Amino acid sequence: MTVFKCYMKILRQNVGMIIIYLGIFFSVALVMQMAAGKSENSLYANASIDIGVTDEDQGVLAQGFTDYLGSIHNVIPMENDPEVLQENLFYRNVEYIVQIPADFYETCILGDTPLKVTKVPGSYSSYYVDQQISSYISTLRTYLAAGFSPEEAIQGEKNEVHEPVTKLSSDSASSDLVPYTYYFRYIPYLFLGALCYTMGYILMAFKKGDIQKRMEASAISVRRQALEGLLAMGVIGAFLWFLGILGVAIMYGNTFWGSPLFGYYMVNTLLMLIVALSLSYLIGMFIPNSNILSGVANLVSLSMCFLCGVFVPMDVMDKSVLKFSQFLPVYWYEQVNEILSRHHTLTPELLRKIQVSMGIQMLFAVVFVCLILVVSRYRKEG
Amino acid sequence: MSTNIVQIENLVKRYGSLVALDHLNLNISEGEVFGLLGPNGSGKTTAINCMLSLLKYDKGVIRIFGEEMRPDNYQVKQQIGIVLQNVAVFDELTVYENIDYFCGLYVSDKRKRKELVEEAITFTDLNDYRKMRPKKLSGGLLRRLNIACGIAHKPRLIIMDEPTVAVDPQSRNKILEGIQKLNEQGSTIIYTSHYMEEVEQICTRIAIMDHGHVITSGTKEELKKMIKTGETITIEAVPLSPENLADIRTLPHVFDLHYEEQVLTVRCTGARHNLIRLLNYLQSQDIPFGQVSSELPTLNDVFLEITGKQLRD
Repeated sequence: MTVFKCYMKILRQNVGMIIIYLGIFFSVALVMQMAAGKSENSLYANASIDIGVTDEDQGVLAQGFTDYLGSIHNVIPMENDPEVLQENLFYRNVEYIVQIPADFYETCILGDTPLKVTKVPGSYSSYYVDQQISSYISTLRTYLAAGFSPEEAIQGEKNEVHEPVTKLSSDSASSDLVPYTYYFRYIPYLFLGALCYTMGYILMAFKKGDIQKRMEASAISVRRQALEGLLAMGVIGAFLWFLGILGVAIMYGNTFWGSPLFGYYMVNTLLMLIVALSLSYLIGMFIPNSNILSGVANLVSLSMCFLCGVFVPMDVMDKSVLKFSQFLPVYWYEQVNEILSRHHTLTPELLRKIQVSMGIQMLFAVVFVCLILVVSRYRKEG
Repeated sequence: MSTNIVQIENLVKRYGSLVALDHLNLNISEGEVFGLLGPNGSGKTTAINCMLSLLKYDKGVIRIFGEEMRPDNYQVKQQIGIVLQNVAVFDELTVYENIDYFCGLYVSDKRKRKELVEEAITFTDLNDYRKMRPKKLSGGLLRRLNIACGIAHKPRLIIMDEPTVAVDPQSRNKILEGIQKLNEQGSTIIYTSHYMEEVEQICTRIAIMDHGHVITSGTKEELKKMIKTGETITIEAVPLSPENLADIRTLPHVFDLHYEEQVLTVRCTGARHNLIRLLNYLQSQDIPFGQVSSELPTLNDVFLEITGKQLRD
């Protein structure tokens, strides 16, 4: 196993670079997953502000309006004294002040006079409050015009507002992404980046000077040397894959292992690894020196990841870009990943889509291996 | 009579219309340091590559240790060591690891290999550098490492293709001494070079190649006897007229002369008193002269006379 051991010894020189790629991968996956964990609803709910309210009316409608604001924001009752109001706004005790006039029903509901409000200049939250007030008044106006009593109008409005909102996802599937979605989405970057670099480095070492000649003239057959090289590549790939799976096991534990789809994730990442291995070997054959190795590794991994929905979700990508991406293997990996992350069970149609995407990944790997064989043969005969 | 361990018969190798080896014939006996001498492009490296089955050839037979050499004849390959023109070591491995790796391509037994690697390190005097990586070694040390990688498994036949290219004189001498020592230990050596001094110094038999075939071969003494030049006399700062040059040309044993910028070069056949006769003529004509030197023929003279061109052309 002389050649195998030599691969491993040369790999040792690259441990630092592999750790860097692993570090980047785990950090990005973790940060993105944490950011995605906060739902948009909760973010919206958190955007409540302190609102000062002066109520000169003290009627049912004014109270209903104050209650409505209180259901969204933190309402602070205030004395209608301009000096007190200005002071509270200046010290940011409140961001927004609503002054309900004594004849609230007549002036603001029946008439078109807007409510007097004062807000912190440039506050984005204030715009939302403006919209909420405008929407509330117009709903109330509609109820009252339809003959409802003020109490009924307030109750009707309340029911309307608290109706649960369903957010529609662009692909009409469930919007509940599994927690390890981003982890698996970024795995191609780890595989491509780390393998392109290490394979390029190792192959470059074996190509240097007359090393290849010396090996061909030795007492170990070229076939055995190639097999030992392949074994070494397999071990390196398997180690990287194992680290990837170990990472998901540590970070998500039973959430991942308990999923009925975890097997698909394993197969999909394994296929991606085989594609990355064959592609990185092919690229490694053309790298002439170490100066351009790092550049090529980054170019291949980053460009493919940007084009195929690793860093930018496919939903927001241009259709023409996606059409081009179909000629790249990572696109098909991400297709499978998208299906798995959005569904807890697979319908026959989804299963078929997954099988097709996995099959295309395998085809890519076969094409890369064929190209490797052609290039090797051409070089040997040339 | 020693046995031929390398026999090459009618070897032809073409690259399109270019004939790299043109019916090459060679016989190398066991225990020889066989020099393959020739200018760049004469076919030396192609011949070596064919011998090692690194190149397919169009015609001919190569037998090593009595067996036909084929890419899959690992029995034969096992007994051959190679030291190639370009340094072939891994920059990523230490000196020890490099020798161990290349030795490992021949010897699988770990314990035996360890002994062999240690011997190779001692032989090439690389003990102080065993943990260093090649990038930190000087050119001479790198060449020694290249040799250690090729000889660690103690091959019967060592093929060295210009192993001293771009090496300082001190390291070169060390390498040449090492090669002689390897030969004394029983290895047969094929040594290619375009440095005639090296070949003259270490080779027991020499073949001169040009245009893909052997022009002549023999011991250095035999080769020198083959040519007309027995002595080359050079006289500096000597003012000569055309009449003087004509007179010198008629002196006994002189067969060629060259006069340029007051430097006279006279080539004579092997005979006694050539120099005395020439100096007597200059004194008789009252012609002053500077430094005088007389040289016996070199392999370059042999090559020059046979091919009509300098060895380093």
